[in-house]
Amino acid sequence: MFGYIKVEKGELLVREYEAYKSVYCGLCRQLGRDYSILSRFILSYDCTFYGMILMSLNRSCTGFESKCCRFNPLKKCNYCKTQSDSLSKAAALSVISAYYKLVDDINDSKFVKKIAYKLIKPLFSRWQKKAAKRYPEIDLALSTMLKEQIEAENYPECSIDRASDPTAKMLSTLLENEGKDDTEKRILHQMGYGLGRWIYLIDAADDLEKDKKNKNFNPFNSYTENIKEVINTNLSASLGLAFDAYELLELVDFKGIIDNIILKGLPITQKQVLDKRKD
Amino acid sequence: MKNPYEVLGVSPNATESEIKTAYRNLAKKYHPDKYTNSPLADVAEEKMKEVNEAYDAIMEMRKNGGNSNSYGNSGGYTSGYNNSSSAYYNVRVYIQQNRVQEAEQILDAVDPNTRSAEWYFLRGMCYFRRGWQSEAFSYFQRACQMDPSNMEYRQALNNMSRQQSYGYGGYNTTQVNTNSGCDACDICTGLMCINCLCNCCR
Repeated sequence: MFGYIKVEKGELLVREYEAYKSVYCGLCRQLGRDYSILSRFILSYDCTFYGMILMSLNRSCTGFESKCCRFNPLKKCNYCKTQSDSLSKAAALSVISAYYKLVDDINDSKFVKKIAYKLIKPLFSRWQKKAAKRYPEIDLALSTMLKEQIEAENYPECSIDRASDPTAKMLSTLLENEGKDDTEKRILHQMGYGLGRWIYLIDAADDLEKDKKNKNFNPFNSYTENIKEVINTNLSASLGLAFDAYELLELVDFKGIIDNIILKGLPITQKQVLDKRKD
Repeated sequence: MKNPYEVLGVSPNATESEIKTAYRNLAKKYHPDKYTNSPLADVAEEKMKEVNEAYDAIMEMRKNGGNSNSYGNSGGYTSGYNNSSSAYYNVRVYIQQNRVQEAEQILDAVDPNTRSAEWYFLRGMCYFRRGWQSEAFSYFQRACQMDPSNMEYRQALNNMSRQQSYGYGGYNTTQVNTNSGCDACDICTGLMCINCLCNCCR
């Protein structure tokens, strides 16, 4: 996950924005508690979204408290409190995904960067081991994704669908695990698939020019004309899939924020990424 | 049985028009056409049924001065296709049961020279069920080309086009899933309006 799941701040109510921020700060604090103060730097919007969905599904957010921010002692932050381990799970996902991203980067990058990445790897690896011990299912989902991604990219004439399948499957597994009953699991599976597909494809679209220059793999490389149209259609279709499933889900807590992300935040991010393209 | 007012998300004091609006919005949200080929079709249908029942119950209660608690379902939206005449009946059953792999095995064993429009449609459906949308789309397109008159293939393609046009561009995306054209609700409202006008004339 790469930081594309954002809220559209202008469309949120003030109390919703406060709640969103307190989940963000709550996750930051959880990272500090579960791992180390350094791990707070890998805090991401994507994992905040994941944590928020979990809290909403389990209805486990019990309120907010105001405390000092660790990085800025003059600032007061609101932290959300939770009964369940939703935030711990989100923290585990943060460190595990950061670790696998690093492993992937080491494979992809050149000499100097490679050494730099290798130097910080032991730190990430320690957190990842700790997280994997507590939540083996999250670690399994991520490691499977990495393995399948490499297989898919080496597949001759890898299509958009095949390339995005590993990420989509990863997120659908993660969300599916949280369903209370069979119906909810199926809804979450479908929603996770659409969202995961979107995340993979938007990242690919964002990196397309860079990948072309460096001759790296990119699912859109095989398209020579109407690239923008192809990207837009595929991204929108993925969101449509996720949204149709999401509409069947019954959420109460944080609903306004999650609606905002899915209905406004994601399409706007998509527009921003596409507008960056010159064609 | 759930409280019908809760199902529609309105207060028990809501006016009739508020209830109708809530009902219409929910009916649009869970409309079976949206989920025709989706693995979640049955979930949507269940919700639709719940909404229909709640609406009927409220209307019934109000008609009888709020005393009655009988629930009845006057049908509303229903979905379902009858495809017993299909050459690929077993494939359809597998897809219905979400056993995509088995369906794919049967389909892939078919001789490439004898592949019909239905074959392309069902192969596309397997991809669709897996979430492989771009493959699914091209197979549906092929099926429609081979048999342009088939409504089932056409609807699958239209449904994908609808997903592809998911709200895009920010501030004017409050209504993301607008069902184009005239649906059953529109017809009903139209008839009600005409009825009102007729009464005026007399």
